[in-house]
Formats: sequence, structure tokens, C-alpha cells
Amino acid sequence: MLSLLKDYPFILHGPLQAALVVGAVCAFLGVHVVLRRVVFVGAALAQVSSAGVGLALLTGSNPSLLSLLLTLVGVAAFSVKSKDKRTTQESFIGIGYAVASAVAVLFVAKSAQGEGHMLDVLSGNILTVSASEIWQMGIIGLIAIGLHMLFQKQFLYSAFDPETAQSSGVKAGRWDLFFFLILGIVIAMSIKLAGTLLVFAFLVLPAVTALLFSQRLGKIHAIAVGSAVVATVLGLYASVKFDMPSGPTIVAFSFAIFAVAWVISRFR
Amino acid sequence: MNQKVENKSEGVQVQASQLIVFEHADLGYGRRRIITDLNLILSEGDYLGIVGPNGSGKTTILKAMLGIIRPMKGTARRDPNTLIGYVPQRQFIDEVYPLTVSEVAIMGRYPLLSTFSRPSRADKDFVLECLNHVGIADLANRPYRELSGGQKQRTLIARALASQPKVLILDEPTNDMDIGSEHSIMELLTKLHDEDRITIVIVSHLLNVLINHAKTFAMINDGLDMVGPVDEIITSESLSRMYGMQVEVAFCNGRRVVLTGGEVA
Repeated sequence: MLSLLKDYPFILHGPLQAALVVGAVCAFLGVHVVLRRVVFVGAALAQVSSAGVGLALLTGSNPSLLSLLLTLVGVAAFSVKSKDKRTTQESFIGIGYAVASAVAVLFVAKSAQGEGHMLDVLSGNILTVSASEIWQMGIIGLIAIGLHMLFQKQFLYSAFDPETAQSSGVKAGRWDLFFFLILGIVIAMSIKLAGTLLVFAFLVLPAVTALLFSQRLGKIHAIAVGSAVVATVLGLYASVKFDMPSGPTIVAFSFAIFAVAWVISRFR
Repeated sequence: MNQKVENKSEGVQVQASQLIVFEHADLGYGRRRIITDLNLILSEGDYLGIVGPNGSGKTTILKAMLGIIRPMKGTARRDPNTLIGYVPQRQFIDEVYPLTVSEVAIMGRYPLLSTFSRPSRADKDFVLECLNHVGIADLANRPYRELSGGQKQRTLIARALASQPKVLILDEPTNDMDIGSEHSIMELLTKLHDEDRITIVIVSHLLNVLINHAKTFAMINDGLDMVGPVDEIITSESLSRMYGMQVEVAFCNGRRVVLTGGEVA
């Protein structure tokens, strides 16, 4: 591995750092995405965010800004709890996912840069990421994790038992919206670096892996982040060594870690 | 309908302070009215059972008592100094969360903490006392999701007690329990009422569980049907009328038993 790092020193810089930052932040928040049973909100928000990138390519606007704006609209839409008994909340999330995916493809296809950018939207541009983008993501990630730790009791109470939280003065709906706002901003920023596939994978796989191993939230966060870090390092190494796309390779390693964890947890 | 009996529960002074008062309140969701013209007073020291058929609006009243919904018309007043502890139906708690019994119970302290502060050592000690009070201190570090139905219910009662409430409101506390757990939960609630002087409100459709514990009853059937002491409310006539079938209230070893069978002529 050391010779590889010598031959390809760039993986020590931008790509590795970017993937580590995105992986750690998404894995941390992913624990709550999985526990809240809103995994597909994460997927749908990732697609809405990529639709924002597509719209920016079409209109020549700032991709970060449009991606963020559209994601916040998605957050507002997905956090509304429908009282209509004829449909379900998840069906609206499914509609959002499908429509956002289609719109993203249409925007990119009709943009001046054309379909060449399609892969960027799906896989991100992790190999060409700049230092300032990594710093930006790192700061946003730290703020997101910090806010989550600061307001852990409110987030936990309103997700675990919203009715009782509401009855004791904790505005469960507002705390849910705040959680999704943080998640939406992290997803919008991460998509640009790592693409929808990797971001969605980081939101789910490390968290589920960690939940197999511990019943304490603190440990679960640590295992999830650790598993994302290991998958990132091994995935990037393998992608460079065997000339494979980085995002899918990291996802494959993340799944391999999950599979091993699942087998071990069955025999514990 | 809306035949009202004066709200005089046993052992409660007439001047007892009023904790929750509904006056001509219409309750519901969106534009749908579930309860109309509700007049009900919960006084300090009450042990109130809210009973009625499924879908009659019992939970709607409970939510209005908790302040989760506001009256569409009329008023619902709560004594601002009254802390209410709520024990929801345990089936509504999402067990995917990896929380221990004490981590669940300490949530009861959250309303007493400021936005940024975390539970202190004193909070944790108090929660342990509450767990001890409901008889599950030894389970403090066990995962909540691994408990039996009765143990989960005790955890949720301990969480409600952790907020040091004046009133405890419970929604169907003995649903899906075997008779042993059912009995011990009701004995615990009666102890909290009699010894700790906590005002208790229980919503339940399980009449046989409630009638030998609660002192006052509110019968709900498309609105408030009757409210008053157990002797006046839990009668064969009133229950037969409410459920539209033959219902008898009998006594066995000094305890009330509700028996059903046959259509009302």
C-alpha cells in the first residue's frame, strides 16, 4: 500500500480526505436516519440535491446554491406528516425520489455540458475535489455533528416518543424539521463531492453495521464512523490499484464490512 | 345524551383545586368534530377513568387534557402550575432505539432542564429512585426493548414520575397484558394515587380492569355521556345503553364485575 501511496500521492490529499469527511459525517447522521426509519428520505433528498446540481448545469448557476435550495424544499416537503389515510408518507417520498431522479437526468441531458456530467452527479467529483471544498464540507460536518450532540436530548425524545415529547412541551415537529434541515444541508454538500450513490450508502451501511454490534448510542456512533473510515480507505486503495470507479468500490467495501458484521453478530 | 351527574369523587374535597377544566369544548382534528360541548372538571386528588366504546373519542379528550390539541370551540383551561406526566400506549414506542431502561426513564427529566443542559448526577439519582418506586431498579441498565409488557409499562410510568407530576395521564395502560401484569400495574397506580396523592386519569376500554380502581368515571359516547362517582356511573342500565347490548354489573367478593350478553330490547 505504501508504494501505491508513493505512486499515487494524490489519494493522500483531496479524494481520501473528502471521502473521509463525507463518510464520517454521513455515518454519524446515518445512525439517526436508520433509527428514525427515514432511510428513503435520505435517498430522496440525495436525488433532489442532484436535481439541483442538474438545474445549475442547465441554467449556468451556482451548483452548491441550487442544490442546497432544492434540498431545503425537499426537507420541507418530506417533513410534512400527511393526515390523509388514503395514502402513506412513504409513497410521497417514493414519488419525490422518482421525480427528482428523472428531473436530474433531464436537466443534465438538456444542459450545454450535456450528458458528460451525468456521471459527476451520480458519482461526484471526488478525484478532482479542491482543498477549499474539503474545508467547507469539514466545517459543515463539524457544525452538523456539534448541533446534533448539543440538542441530542430533544432530537432523541421527539423521535423516540413524539406524542409524550409534545405533551411535555418539547416541540417534536420543530425538532424533526431541524433534524431534516441539518441532514438536507449535509446531503447537499456531500453530493457535490461524493455523488448520490456514495452519500446514500454512507447514510445506511455504516449505521446498520454499528447497530448490529452495540446497544449504546455513543458506541454505535463510533462504530459507524469507524466502519465508514475503514471502507473509505480500503475502497480508495482498491479503486486506484485495480483502476475501478472510487464510489462504487467504497460502497462494495462498506457492504463487505456489513456482511462480515452480520455473520459475526449471528454467532455472538 | 349529555345527561350529567355532578363530579363528586370519593375522598375529594369540594374545594379541591381544579387542575383541568373543559367548558363547552368541541374537540376534534382538522374540521372533524369528535366531541361536542364537553364540560368536565379534573380536580386535585381525582382518580378518573375515561371509558367508552372504541372510537368514541376517549383519546381525543386525553390529547386535549395534555394540550396536544386545542378546543375548536369553548375552552380548556389547565392550572399553569400543574405538571402532567403522560404514559402513552407502549405499542406506540419505537423499540428500534437502543436505549436502556434508565435512558428511557430519564427523558421524564427533560422538560425540567434548560435547552442546552444535560441531565445531572442528581437527575440520574432521582430517576433511579423512580425506577425503584415502580419496582424495576434492578432493570435500570437492561435494554428497554428486551423487557416484558408489564416491565415496559413500569418504565414508562417511572419516566412520567421523573417529571414530578401532579397528574398522571395513562392511555390504555394494561392493553395486551396477562391478568397478573394487569393486576400489578393497577395496584401500582392505586398506590401512587392513595400514598403519593397523585391525581390519576386513565383512558381504557377494559372496564373490568378499571372499575375496581378508579373513583370517578366519565363515560364517552359521541361526546360526554355521564360523569360522576363509580356507583352512579358504572350501572347495568348506563352500560347497556352505552354499548347497545345487555350489560350487567355484578359483585363478587365485594368487587365489581361487568358481564355481557344479549341484545337490548
